[in-house]
Amino acid sequence: MSLNTFEKSKEMFLRATEVIPTGISGNKNPAFAIPGAFPYFAERGEGCRYWDVDGNEYIDFLCGFGPVVLGFGYQKVDDAYDAQRRLGSAFNHPTPRTVELAEKMVELIPCADWAAFGRNGSDVTTYAIQAAREKTQRRKIIVARGAYHGSHAWCTPGHGGLIEEDKRHILAFNWNDATELEDLVVKHRGDVAGVMLTPHHHPAFGEQILPEPSFWSDVRRICDEHGIVLVCDDIRDGFRLHMKGSGEYFGFVPDMMCFCKAIANGYSVSAIVGKEEIKAAASKVFFTGTYYTAAADLAAAIATLDELQEVDAIDHMMKMGKLLCEGLVKRGETHGLQVKVSGPPTIPFLSFANERDFRRNQLFSKECARRGVLFHPHHNWFLMYAHQEADIQQALDVADEAFGVVKKEFGS
Amino acid sequence: MDDRAYILANLHLHAVLPRLEELVKLDGEAQSIAKEMKLKVRFKVRKGPSRVVEISDGAVRTSGDPQAKAGLGLFFASCDQLNNLFMEKRAIPVPYKGLTQLRQMSRFSRLTEILTRYLKPAEADLEDPAFKKKHVEMALMAGLAGAAEIARYDRKMEHVVDQLPWGTLQFSVLPDGPYAFASVDKEKTIFVGNGRIADPTANLDIHGVDMAAAVLAGTVDTFAALGREDIRATGHLSLVDEFNALLDRVGYFLA
Repeated sequence: MSLNTFEKSKEMFLRATEVIPTGISGNKNPAFAIPGAFPYFAERGEGCRYWDVDGNEYIDFLCGFGPVVLGFGYQKVDDAYDAQRRLGSAFNHPTPRTVELAEKMVELIPCADWAAFGRNGSDVTTYAIQAAREKTQRRKIIVARGAYHGSHAWCTPGHGGLIEEDKRHILAFNWNDATELEDLVVKHRGDVAGVMLTPHHHPAFGEQILPEPSFWSDVRRICDEHGIVLVCDDIRDGFRLHMKGSGEYFGFVPDMMCFCKAIANGYSVSAIVGKEEIKAAASKVFFTGTYYTAAADLAAAIATLDELQEVDAIDHMMKMGKLLCEGLVKRGETHGLQVKVSGPPTIPFLSFANERDFRRNQLFSKECARRGVLFHPHHNWFLMYAHQEADIQQALDVADEAFGVVKKEFGS
Repeated sequence: MDDRAYILANLHLHAVLPRLEELVKLDGEAQSIAKEMKLKVRFKVRKGPSRVVEISDGAVRTSGDPQAKAGLGLFFASCDQLNNLFMEKRAIPVPYKGLTQLRQMSRFSRLTEILTRYLKPAEADLEDPAFKKKHVEMALMAGLAGAAEIARYDRKMEHVVDQLPWGTLQFSVLPDGPYAFASVDKEKTIFVGNGRIADPTANLDIHGVDMAAAVLAGTVDTFAALGREDIRATGHLSLVDEFNALLDRVGYFLA
């Protein structure tokens, strides 16, 4: 078997660095993965596979960092997008697609009495904290330490271009520690506008953490007792755990929820939904962007949500995810490696026992990429509906070879 | 107190001044001067930092221990006064003890002039590869030690320190050095040292002295350099990323 090489990716990257700061910005920069041994630029996708500019084929377990939930080139979604595109997408006004998608979200999500749409996750997480501040007339927002809520100044994990004041009113506590959350709320009594949390904790550079049985009920109680708006950032989990949103999966009802990624199978839509009592405050926040009403993308979102329901895609992804996760642990064991897969089956992440520095992860992901399977070493993975049992088995066979390389390099 | 002046004074005393330790090992003239000196001087700032520099037997040792004894004391009325001295502006401290050792300060001043030449090099000096390598070694240590001060005192970096994982970050300029490391403990205190350490939590390997000099000067797009593999980061990348934010901040203060 010849191993993948990445020469054209590297050449394209050199061109990129001449004209683009960092060459590739944000989490898609090679520095976040395995520079020199990972694809940098993609060319095309089909089903659960994509091809990079070197012509290498991958079974994809990153799914564009989440949005590809049905599969690349999914006919029904692309048809809906194309049909609207032919009619026109960017008008002086919204199209009926905006209203139809809002109605769809209100019908689907238990806490949704209204909905609004942006293009990226940061659009709606920022809107959510503004609405929470407007509702409560308070300043502080509490998040979990290490959580990602977007790239705007108040929440970016980056460092450049910030001033001290950008994060002055953002407080953090350790995920699953409701006592620490309550202490923070008490310490800043009367000044906490919102608590924003992901349904489960999925930090980069770390194992995923599922909520303790009482965590979400404690969070809900604390917010209710102190008049705080509870915002669920369901951007990564949304429509991969439950069609009614991940609150339904973990058993809690937030005041607002943010969605993006899986909502439109790769087209550019983000959404926020909320309870009736937040609606007036949300209406006072100036929320707009040139493409927030782009009709073709909204049409794709409607088609995606319809199709996810129609084919019961989450059930399928759960089955494939379990097959993958259990298979990885077993294949690791056969090499004497202690492998842990954390997170829900549709959003898994692999780590090696007793390892903080990710060196085994990095070698494992590198060897898998060279053999045509894309597992990220530092970021949670995603399943998509297009993954079939044969794809999972092929991925496990590749993982088996990669575990062999890890064993040879590290011994255990 | 002006935060900026206070942070800068700490950088000068705890990140820049200790580089005399490397200077007398790396530079012939500095070594000759140091061999003729026997001096133990405390730099002390009113309501600010202090540090003792000891020069004997051709070696320099520095200590931030407030209990360390010194034969000569130089008192600065403010952080600005100390900072002016380091920034080659006019600043005359008040000697508060050991006046007989004052005459050695002219030699000490020459040492600091040579140190400045390495830490703020002229373009012409950098054309000499041997000089450039020494510059990188001292600037790297100044940066790492400065990062420790930034982590301690710079409020703007509080969110960075909050995210900084514990562990050891090995910096290596390939193929043959210099090498330095920074260790972060669970209380977020940073310790730095020369050389290589076993089993670091993360590695930052920089290919070539030229690239290292450019990185330290802040003139490189580091993410582009990582993608081009001019720089290689492995291990716990979060440690690399957060630490680099502290390093960038050192550059801002000492520019």
